Amino acid sequence: MTAFEPGALIAGVLAAIQDSPAGGVAAGAAGRPDAVERGLRFLAVAYGVVWAILGAYLVILSYRLRRVARQVRRLRERLGL
Amino acid sequence: MPAMWSRLLQVTTVLGLAVALYMAFVVAPIEEKMGVIQKIFYFHVPSAFMAFLGVGLCAVMSVLYLLTRERRFDLVAHASAELGVVFCTIVLVTGPIWARPVWGVWWTGEVRLTSTLILWLIYVGYLLLRQNAENREQAARWAAITGIVGALDMPIIYKSVEWWRGLHPKVLKISGGGGLEPAMGRAFVVCLVAFLLLFVSLLVERVRLGLLQDEIEWLDQQIARRPPAAGAAGGGRASP
Repeated sequence: MTAFEPGALIAGVLAAIQDSPAGGVAAGAAGRPDAVERGLRFLAVAYGVVWAILGAYLVILSYRLRRVARQVRRLRERLGL
Repeated sequence: MPAMWSRLLQVTTVLGLAVALYMAFVVAPIEEKMGVIQKIFYFHVPSAFMAFLGVGLCAVMSVLYLLTRERRFDLVAHASAELGVVFCTIVLVTGPIWARPVWGVWWTGEVRLTSTLILWLIYVGYLLLRQNAENREQAARWAAITGIVGALDMPIIYKSVEWWRGLHPKVLKISGGGGLEPAMGRAFVVCLVAFLLLFVSLLVERVRLGLLQDEIEWLDQQIARRPPAAGAAGGGRASP
């Protein structure tokens, strides 16, 4: 089974868009295949990093919320509230 | 905020982010000079706006806290500072990834980059100050001052490209740039709205965490004030 790679997925989607006329294909030096491939690599890393940072913060925040809510429940039980 | 509204906000945020991705990758055309790498802009700039929002909100709440000493303002200031750091981290990471293929370097001593790094360091300091302080009142006071002073960096970041004629591009008309092509502009606005929803969702949850932490403190005090149990009064032994 192959692992899911968000970076590769983004790169694939972008490569498909690059070929479609609706995507507005670049006409300048940035439209050269080597430049496109390089750009896609950097773009995949950038978006991967954005999701990784947001995901990590979400996981940490939900862990902290769960832990604190558990503690509140325990203290309330102790006080008979 | 009632749980139902909170859940609705979270669902809207997820949908908003999905639409933002669609707009950025499918609807917005590929920029002629930079190519696909320009698409970093659709998450980089909204992240910068949210970092500013976090820092600005922290500064306003800090001023209100210093004026009133009400805990709720301090709570929101702390939450928004934390979010400011998260979004500023995204800005500082995605910026160099864009700069490497476009400028040929990961980082330069350019004023906008340096002042953004300073802003991040100030607010990381703010969070460390809060985390390591023993006296909550004192920590809140010092953190509020740090939050206000740190926010003074925002106009420097915003105006740095004009004042020091830096390398950093001015794309938006409001920052003195030439503006975006309509399809790019639409994609940018959608991304901005999606990031705003994300910011509000995270802020609601982070404030809820602060409220629960306050409740723990209050419950601890109640337990400490409670008279000792009858068994405990005699050292745990029953009298003959």
